[in-house]
Order: sequence, then structure tokens, then C-alpha cells
Amino acid sequence: MFLLKLAFLNIGRNPRRSVITVLAVGVGLAALIFLWGFSDGTNEQMRENVIRLYTGHVQVHAAGFEKALSPELIIPNRETLLKEASKVPGFVTYTERAKCEALLGTSERSRGVLLMGIDPAQEKTVTQLEQYVREGAYLAQDDKRSILIGSRLAKRMEVAVGDKLVVMTQALDGTLAGYSYHIAGILHTGSQQVDEIAAYITLESAQELLGLGTDTHEIVFRLDSRKHIEAFIKAFRPFVSEKDYELLTWDQIVPEVEQWAQWAEAIIQTILIAVMVVIGVSIMNTVLMSVFERTREIGVMLALGTSPGRVIKLILLETIVLELWGILLGLAAGYAVVGYFGTAGIAFPELEAAFSRSYMSTVTYTRVETIHVVQSVITLLLLTTLISLYPAWKAGRMEPVKAIYHS
Amino acid sequence: MSAKPLVQVRNISKTFTGNSLPVHALKDVSTEIAAGDFVAFCGPSGSGKTTLLNLIGCLDRPSSGEVFLDGEEIAHYDQGKLSKLRLHKIGFIFQDFNLIPTLSALENVEYVLWLQGVSAEERRRRAIEVCGRFGIEKLVDRRPSQLSRGQQQRVAVARAIVHKPKIVLGDELTANLDHKTGATLMDFLKELNANEGITFVYASHDPVMIERANRVIRMQDGAIVS
Repeated sequence: MFLLKLAFLNIGRNPRRSVITVLAVGVGLAALIFLWGFSDGTNEQMRENVIRLYTGHVQVHAAGFEKALSPELIIPNRETLLKEASKVPGFVTYTERAKCEALLGTSERSRGVLLMGIDPAQEKTVTQLEQYVREGAYLAQDDKRSILIGSRLAKRMEVAVGDKLVVMTQALDGTLAGYSYHIAGILHTGSQQVDEIAAYITLESAQELLGLGTDTHEIVFRLDSRKHIEAFIKAFRPFVSEKDYELLTWDQIVPEVEQWAQWAEAIIQTILIAVMVVIGVSIMNTVLMSVFERTREIGVMLALGTSPGRVIKLILLETIVLELWGILLGLAAGYAVVGYFGTAGIAFPELEAAFSRSYMSTVTYTRVETIHVVQSVITLLLLTTLISLYPAWKAGRMEPVKAIYHS
Repeated sequence: MSAKPLVQVRNISKTFTGNSLPVHALKDVSTEIAAGDFVAFCGPSGSGKTTLLNLIGCLDRPSSGEVFLDGEEIAHYDQGKLSKLRLHKIGFIFQDFNLIPTLSALENVEYVLWLQGVSAEERRRRAIEVCGRFGIEKLVDRRPSQLSRGQQQRVAVARAIVHKPKIVLGDELTANLDHKTGATLMDFLKELNANEGITFVYASHDPVMIERANRVIRMQDGAIVS
């Protein structure tokens, strides 16, 4: 207690310097928390965007379908799978799709697309597709001759709501199938992939076009949280043999999102090191100055019988107390800023084109993962304590005689 | 003099080497100090009295020769051992008193007891008792900057004796004090020497202070001359 009291008294000796040090640590940590908040918020939105746009949390296909997109790769025993899936904790709902590559044409232009047959009502429970309809309307449940296309696709084909499009694809039996559709609505999701290559018709229409009967190619599950994906897969796996099925999580279907998140985290880690070095130098400077100014006093303390170890402990304690105050300030300021922008958001409307390639939203709502704050605080505490070991060691190694007669 | 001296210095030399030429501060010095003695080192500036005091006080190590304190040969002790020795056997009264400015007068007196691991209650009791003997019991909560030179000096003496050391060393104890305050300090020290048997060794070139010693060791050019 006496040592701690002495440490506090020494810190109070030069209040301006102590305040500057606390501010350096606090502002540095707050900036780091904000950066993490921005990165975590962006990554979180990207993940949710992908999930709520079309992947859901988990998908089931017939084995090999994701790569081949062959119409004949229909899902065997769907009813059993759905029954078992609905019993797994975390399951919320599902939707089914028919999916194929197709050629979309007008009298003047044609484009290759990914054609998806969806159950309009059920799809709404899993994804937010309906919310992205910018012009026209979402698909009606029993409208077999309507189609939704992305805004980029519409622009390239120079078509608008109400125009006629011909869809041609290979049916299950290998024959060429074709139907004409009226554009019911145009989607604008902000995702380049979806807006440029996706086209949606009703599931019933797709089953008819492809000759699937009541079969489908894809079951999309929505769970209550991403956190439960692993547990869901583990519990559901026994019913989905690898020989007959492929069971894919959202990040296996769109791996680039997690890759992007890892890249962003690597950048923040680099910034973290840079900020730590700046804070570390500031702390070392403060401690060195403090030790230098107290050379004579430290000499007297040593002369009176204070062990070198105790002097080192005292200097480290002073540093740690300053750091802890700085950390408290940094946590309060950092969380306040993250909280504010978590509600208000940070808008980047002019970057939509760039963001559309990576499922990013043009408004980022900051949110910080606790692990990143803990990691930053621990790194800060360890590094600055380590750095202040040098001046502390220097103080402990002082020769009492030289220190006492130091002027 | 008792059979076994408290301090024995045998053929010690001390040479300071820096960027300039080596300075021979002590040259083959030998002497002994008995327990309960009241000794003054005197001599002109640069005669080596402070260096000898520092060696006896385990603040420094000789370049050659041996220093025994209470039977322990300290020339080869590391800083840790020396600091333990200082803590338990030596009291210091510095020229400028060198009180710790952030601590109160009482905490300054308590400091050494804290280093020795004495409980908070016990060290407070002992510190207050010692302060009472020096008439500073009403000033114990003041910081050194709030005390006069004379009051600071009393706190410094209280700090030097509170842990009942075998020997108290002082360097130019009265240099920064007026004559009256300096004389009062010497009265204190003489009283402690007489009543409690504490050995005092101090360096001074003030003839009045030197006269108060039981024994005077005169030094010149790094050697004892008488």
C-alpha cells in the first residue's frame, strides 16, 4: 500500500505531464477502438448482407451442384431433410430454390444469367430480396410469367419494367427449354454480382421450365444467429451424407467476404502496432523524464536501503497507474464514439460502385467485438510496461553516491 | 574502545576514473571506529572525508582494501546486499536532509521502517514516538516544503535513528544551517550518543562542530594525517 501511495504521489507531482501521458494512452486506445469498431461494423454488415441477400446461413444441395449447376442434380429425400433440420436447435425457417444457368434475350440483346426459381412468400422469410425491388413489384406467388432482374442487367439489356424477355435453358431431360416472361420488377441490391447476373422467377415456373416436377436444387436455411451455424452443421450432418449432399455454410459459398474481413483485420493490426509504438515512446519519455528529475531522490531512497528491485517496482507501478487511467479514458471515449456511430452510421454514398464488389453497405454502423478491445488493451498494457522497464531498470541500477550528488 | 571495532577500514584506496585523468580520492587508508564513538572527519575540500564516509556507509565500494562493518566485509558485496546492510545497520543524515518531498514528515520517518517490513501500526507508533522526542509531533502531517530548515533537519535525524541503526553517518550536517540550529542539532546527536549508545560519524570542516566530537580524524590529500 505504501508503495502504491508513493506511486500516486509521484504521479501527482507533475500533473501536466501525467495528464498528457494519460491523454496519449487514452486517445490512442480510443482511436484503436474506433478503428476496430469501423472494421468490425463493416465486416459484420458484409456478412449479414450476403446472408440476407441470398445465401442464408446454410444451404443443402445434391453433391456437386454448387460447381456444376446441372439441372439433374436435384436434392434427394427433401421431406426427410427438412423434417430433421427443423428439429435442430437454432433452426428458424427455410426456403427452396431451383437454379440453373440460362440465356436471357430480347429481340436485340442476350446475356447469360443465373436463373433462380424462388417461392416468393417463403423466400421473404429467409432473405430480404423483396426489399431490394427498386422499380416495379416483387414476384406474385402464382404469377408464372413474371421475372425479376438486377439493375445492371436491365441497363445492359436496355429493358424496363413490363418489357418482355425470353429465357432459354437446358431442361432436366437435356432438351432446350424456353419461356417468355414480363419484367415484374428491377432489383438494386448494391451487389455487383446479384445486380448483373441474377434473374428470379417463381419456383413453380422454374420447375415447369426445367421439367423438375416438384423437385428443387437448393434448400436455404435461416438460423437464429451466425453463432449457431457450427452447432447446426454438427447436429444436421448425420442426415446429410457427403456422398449424396453438399452442406455449405454462407462463407463457403461466398468466401471472399471472410477473406476481406481477414485482410481488414490485418490492416488494423498493423495500425495497432504503429499506435502502440507511438504510445510506448510517449510513455518511455515520460518515465525517463520522471526518473531523471528524481535522480537525487532515488539515490537517497537507495541509500536508505530501498532495494533496486523495489525502485524498479515503484517506477513500473507509476507507469501502470498512468496506463490504467489512460486505458479507462480510452475505453470510455472509444465506446462512446463507437456507440454514437453505431446508431448514426458513417455514410459513403459516393463509394457505392467500389463497395458493390464486396457486399459492403454505403452506410457503416460501427460495432466493436469485445475480443478486439481486450486484445488492444492487453497489447497496450504489456508493451508499455515492457517499454517502461528500461527507465525503471536504469533507476534501480543507479549508484546511490552518484545519484545523491547528481545536480 | 571495545574489543571488536564497529568499523574497520584496512588499506583502502579509492580512485575515480572518468573521462579525465584518474583521481585518487583515498590512498591506503586504515582506521577503526568503536561502537558508541562520536567521530568527526575533518579536512579541507577534496581531502577524502566524504569518500571515506561513503565507503563506511556502504554507499560505494573501495578500489582496493577492505571495509568491515559490524564484522562483515563489504568490499565485494553487490548492490542488493549493500542495500540490506544499509537498511538494517546504518542511518544517514544528508547535507541537504534529502527528505522525500511527496511524503509527509511522519511518512519520511516511517519510510525506513516500511522498507524493513514493520507493520503499518507499529511503524506509525514508533515514528510518532521519535518525532515526539524531537518536538516535531505537531508537524508530522506537513510536507518537507512546509517545514523550516531546522524542522527538516529534525525530521532527517528522526528518520536516521527510528530503526535503531548501529551507526549514523552525516556529511556536512550543519553546512546549511545557521550557527544556533547547527549547535542544537549537535546537542541532539550528542544526547542520542550518550543515552542510546548510537555511534555517530560525521564529516565537517566547521571547527565548532569538530570540537564536539570525542575523536577527530584529520585528513588531507586522501590520507589520514592524525
